[in-house]
Amino acid sequence: MRQEEGVWYRLDVVARSVSPFFVTLLLVLLGLVPLRIADLSPIVPALALIGVFFWSVHRPYLMPIWAVFLIGLLQDLLIGSVIGPGIIGLLIAHALVVWQHRFFLAASFAVIWCAFMLVAAAALAATWLLNCIAMLSYVDPAPLFFQYLVTMAFYPCLAWAFLRGQRLFQR
Amino acid sequence: MNKPTGSEIRVASPLKAWASRFALLLLVGAAFGLMLIGRTNTFVVEETRTTVTDMVTPILDAISQPVDTFSGVIDRAESFTRLSADNEALKAQNARLLQWQAVARRLEAENAALRSLNNMVPDPKLSYVTARVVGDPGGAFVRTVLINAGERNGVAKGQAAVTGNGLAGRIAEVGQRSARVLLLTDINSRVPVVVGAGRDRAVLAGDNTNAPQLLYLGPTAKIQVGDQVTTSGHGGVFPPGLPIGVVSGVSERGFRVKPFVNWAHMEVLRIVDYELPGILDFEAQVGAARAAAAAAAGTEQ
Repeated sequence: MRQEEGVWYRLDVVARSVSPFFVTLLLVLLGLVPLRIADLSPIVPALALIGVFFWSVHRPYLMPIWAVFLIGLLQDLLIGSVIGPGIIGLLIAHALVVWQHRFFLAASFAVIWCAFMLVAAAALAATWLLNCIAMLSYVDPAPLFFQYLVTMAFYPCLAWAFLRGQRLFQR
Repeated sequence: MNKPTGSEIRVASPLKAWASRFALLLLVGAAFGLMLIGRTNTFVVEETRTTVTDMVTPILDAISQPVDTFSGVIDRAESFTRLSADNEALKAQNARLLQWQAVARRLEAENAALRSLNNMVPDPKLSYVTARVVGDPGGAFVRTVLINAGERNGVAKGQAAVTGNGLAGRIAEVGQRSARVLLLTDINSRVPVVVGAGRDRAVLAGDNTNAPQLLYLGPTAKIQVGDQVTTSGHGGVFPPGLPIGVVSGVSERGFRVKPFVNWAHMEVLRIVDYELPGILDFEAQVGAARAAAAAAAGTEQ
């Protein structure tokens, strides 16, 4: 009996520790669903970036750097763009958060949101630059700018959902 | 679990910081390596991509169905509000189209008669595979969609993808049960076209905007806004005469084309299988030769 409890306990621990990774993978998939709304397609929010940033801030040990790499790789493969720029964008976001982890420890939600604006700008700019280099052509950055704004607007909604989920887990 | 003592932390944290910095450099390096591999060895990248896409497509298929249903309900509600205006417009259009039908029938008969007089080689027959659009990556860098049909449904690389309105793109990658369609508007899309009544040849090139542009127009080409753009059939990939769009405007770089396809409502795509008769005949000949050889080997034994 005791042993069975041990197995369930361990399964529970494993499920908790891999959930950020799999939820972010799910976000990558959700970003691919066609929404059938005119002119929305070029400016869909960068959901994976939100996931990676959120867990790098709140549960850094559950979002290790190799997980960020895998998420970026899957995203680039599925989007059909050049492989690499998206990965580097996510790695930059993760590295910036890890570098300033002391700052995030005491930060309020609004401050974290502001920090996300800076981190996302750096990540998306790097992705854009590397894509231009890899495709050897100038890609109009205007849709990317709107994508950035939409991502900003989406952050509080997703962060709220993640925080609710976390509390549910902790109970 | 044992709690780490103070001295352990003092030794561990610089080590940890060093290891994490090393991991970051290693993975960024790996990402750059993948970028290079993507440029030099496209086959491996394509294989990996189609495998991943194949795995994900059933999930996307399931998720996208309720979205489609929801968007269908909204469309219906919208169409109810303009029912009578639509009805009037459609009646007028129907009257006009009936006249066009008569003209088209007459021209079709005349065309058939002239073709038979000239012993013209018939155009190859077209067959279609119909597939649902299950994925739209979006973003600033690509204009592609994923469909839920692949090699096992007869989809092959290079085939044209059309909607009821006109050409949408071509098949760029094929997996077993999924395929990626490169839309006309993608920065990598190039389609040979003819423009207007003068049938001027050009190449329609996408640049990730909604209106692709016409390249390599001849110096004598006379093009006006509103001219029809159709596939030319050059290159033998697309059947000639598929409608694409109309010339919508002139920018400083050249002419822009507005495609007929409604990108927001592209729920279903038809993949046109256009086989040149020469290739088919060749395959049939090879098949016949093989059968004959096998029969000969059988009689020898």
